[in-house]
Amino acid sequence: MSNFVLRGYTRRIARAVVDAMVPRWPELDVDMTDDVLAQVEDTIRGYPIGIQMGVLAMLYGVEFGGPITMSGVKPFSWLTREEAEARLAKVGDHKVPQVRMMPMLLKLMVGFAAYSRPDVEEFLGAPRRAWRKDRQNFREDLVRIDDLEPSPSVPTPLGGEPLATPETYLEFTEGRKGPVLDAAANGGSGS
Amino acid sequence: MIEGIYEPHHTRGDLHLACDVVVIGSGAGGATVAATLAEAGLDTIVLEEGPLYETKEYSANIPEMLTKLMRGGGSTVTMGRSPVPYLEGRCVGGTTVVNGGMCWRTPERILDEWVDDRGLHHLSAKRLDPHFEEVERTIDARHQDPGSEGRVNDLFYKGATNLGWKLSQNKRNQRHCVGSNDCVTGCPSGAKRSTLYSWLPRFFARGGRLYTHTKVKKILTERGRAVGVTGELQDPYRKRRFRVRARAVVVACGAVQTPLLLQRNRLCRGSGHVGQNFTIHPNVKLAAKFDTEVNSLRGAHQAWQCTEFVNEGILLAPGAIPLAFMSAIFPLFGQALAEKMRDYRFIATGGVLVDDSASGYIRALPFGIPHIHYDVTDVDQEKFVRAAALLAELYFAAGAKEVYTAFHHFPVLKSPDDIKRLYAHPPRVEDTEYFTAHLMGTCRMSSDPTQGVVDPDGRAWDVPGLYIADASVLPGTIGVNPQVTIMAIARLIALQLGERLLANRAA
Repeated sequence: MSNFVLRGYTRRIARAVVDAMVPRWPELDVDMTDDVLAQVEDTIRGYPIGIQMGVLAMLYGVEFGGPITMSGVKPFSWLTREEAEARLAKVGDHKVPQVRMMPMLLKLMVGFAAYSRPDVEEFLGAPRRAWRKDRQNFREDLVRIDDLEPSPSVPTPLGGEPLATPETYLEFTEGRKGPVLDAAANGGSGS
Repeated sequence: MIEGIYEPHHTRGDLHLACDVVVIGSGAGGATVAATLAEAGLDTIVLEEGPLYETKEYSANIPEMLTKLMRGGGSTVTMGRSPVPYLEGRCVGGTTVVNGGMCWRTPERILDEWVDDRGLHHLSAKRLDPHFEEVERTIDARHQDPGSEGRVNDLFYKGATNLGWKLSQNKRNQRHCVGSNDCVTGCPSGAKRSTLYSWLPRFFARGGRLYTHTKVKKILTERGRAVGVTGELQDPYRKRRFRVRARAVVVACGAVQTPLLLQRNRLCRGSGHVGQNFTIHPNVKLAAKFDTEVNSLRGAHQAWQCTEFVNEGILLAPGAIPLAFMSAIFPLFGQALAEKMRDYRFIATGGVLVDDSASGYIRALPFGIPHIHYDVTDVDQEKFVRAAALLAELYFAAGAKEVYTAFHHFPVLKSPDDIKRLYAHPPRVEDTEYFTAHLMGTCRMSSDPTQGVVDPDGRAWDVPGLYIADASVLPGTIGVNPQVTIMAIARLIALQLGERLLANRAA
C-alpha cells in the first residue's frame, strides 16, 4: 500500500466532491463528510499508482471542467453544496460517456464509503453488521448438526431443520437461540 | 498459519525453490490444477500475487474489503465505446473469493460448437462429464437450503412463473449459504466454497506449497523451453526476490493477467492471438420497486436464472446486492440519491447477461501499463435492449411499480407500456452502463496453431513446458457463469500434464 495523502488544493476539491455526494436525511443527524473523505483517501491509497493518478485527474476534471462540460465556469470547490450537486448531476448527464464516468466513478468511492456506514445501514433498514453476526452463529449451529449426520450428496440442498423451517430460515435467530442450541446438542432431533 | 501457505514473514531472504510444476495463480484454474497435480504425486508450488484472507478477516467495511480482495481495489475497467467496470480477485482463491458462486456446466450447444467447429474433441460433453462431476463434488455445487433464497429471488420466480417462462434453479458452491448476501466482499459466514475452502485444502493435504505476495515478472526459458519463473516477493519490509525452477510452468492468472504476463515476456507470439478474442459476457443491472418489502439484506445473491431466452443468448437473473452497491445503480447524486435510497427495502435488483459476439483485446503498453479494450457491438446492444425489456416485463408481472434501467436516457419504466417506448427508442451503447465479472478467451485453445495460443492439452503451441489453465483458454463465450467450466478444463489439462510428467519420470 502506498503512502498516498490528499493535500492542499487537491484535498479541498476532494472534500467538496464528498460533501456534495454524501447523503443527508433530517432524521439522521450526522455530518459524515470528513469520515467519508478519510475512507475515500484510504481507498485511493490502496489503488495502484496509475489509478491514483487517474482519480486525481478526475478530481481536477470535475474542479475545472465546468466550461468544457457546459456546466458552469466557477471551479467546483467554490460552489455551494446545492450548486455542486446540480453541477454533478449535469456532468453526470453529459452525452459523452467518458465525461459522465468522471463523477460516476467518484460516486462509487463515496457511495461505497457512505452507504456501508453502520448508522446509514441501520437508518435505511439494513442492519448489515447485526445480520452478518446472526448468520455466522446460525450457520455454525447448522454445521454442528451436519457433523452429527453425513451430509447429503450434491446437488441436494441441505436442510435447516430443526434450527429453522423454510418460513423462518431468514429470520433473526435471537428469539430461538435456546432451543436451537439444545437441538444441535441433542443430535439434531426435533426443535 | 495454514499448513502449506507461506506468507512473506514465514521465510527469510530471497527464495530459491525447485519443484515438478509451478502454478501461477490460485483461483478457479490454478487451484484446480495444483490439487490435481499434487494428488498425482507431483511436487507442486503455487505462486499467488495477492495476500491470504480467511473468513474471519472479511469485515463489513466494503471499501476496505474491495481494497484487500480485488485487483486495483475494484477500480478495474475496460476502455471502449462505453467503459465496462469488471471485478478480478487478487488474493488466495482469486476471483472465486469474490464471485456470486453460481455453478453451471458449459451448455452442451457450446461444447458441440467447440467440437464440431474448432476440432476440440477433448471438450465434448461426454469427455468433460466426469470432470464436471469431480468439480461439483469438490466445491459443493448444490441448491440453496430451503427457505434461504429471500424475497429478491422469490419475486423473480413469481414474475417468470406468471409469464410461463422457463426457470432453472442455480446450484452454487456453498454449504449452508444462510443468506448473508455479502458474496462480493468475501462470504462472511464461510458458506461459500471458494478454492481456498475446496481445491486448496486438497492441495495442502498432499504436501502442496503456496507462496503469497509473489508477483511473477519473468518466465524463464532455456533453449526455448519454459523451466521456471522469477519475480518479486512483495514483503512490506524489504525488497526480496524469488526464483522457482520447475519441469513445467502453468500460467493461471486469469483472462486479463495471463496475456499481459506472456506479452511482457514476449512469449507465444506465433499465432498473434495472445490478448485477442477477449470476451466479457457484459451484463446490465435493473432494479424494480415494489409496494411490499423486498429486503435485499436477507437472502441468497442469486438462486434462479430464467433460461427461456437462452437460445437467443439472453439470460435473466435476480441479483441481490448490499445497500452500498445498490447506491451505484441509480444515476443520481447527493440528496437526489439519498431520497431514492429511502426505498431500499422495497427494491429488488437483477441483471441480464448476453452472449457477446464482440471481442476486445488486451495489450501490455510500455512500462507494463495494461490497455484493456472492449466495444459492445450494435448487434449485441439490440440483445441488451431486448433482454432489459424482458426483465422489466418479468418484474412488472411480479407486481413492480417502477423499473430502473441502466440506460442513460431511459432511466425509469413506470408501466409495461413504457417497454414499448424502450423498443421504439433503443438506447445506444454509449448510453448504457455495463458491468462484468466473466472475462474469457485471451489465450484461446485451438487445434490449429495459427488460431490459438494453446493446444487441446493446454500446452502453449510455441513454448514447450509452458501451460495455460484459466479462463483465458476458453475457446469462446459460454453464456453462463464460467467457474465450473474453468475448473473442469483446468482439471483436464492437469490430468494430461500429470500423466506426461510421470511418464517422463518413469522413463
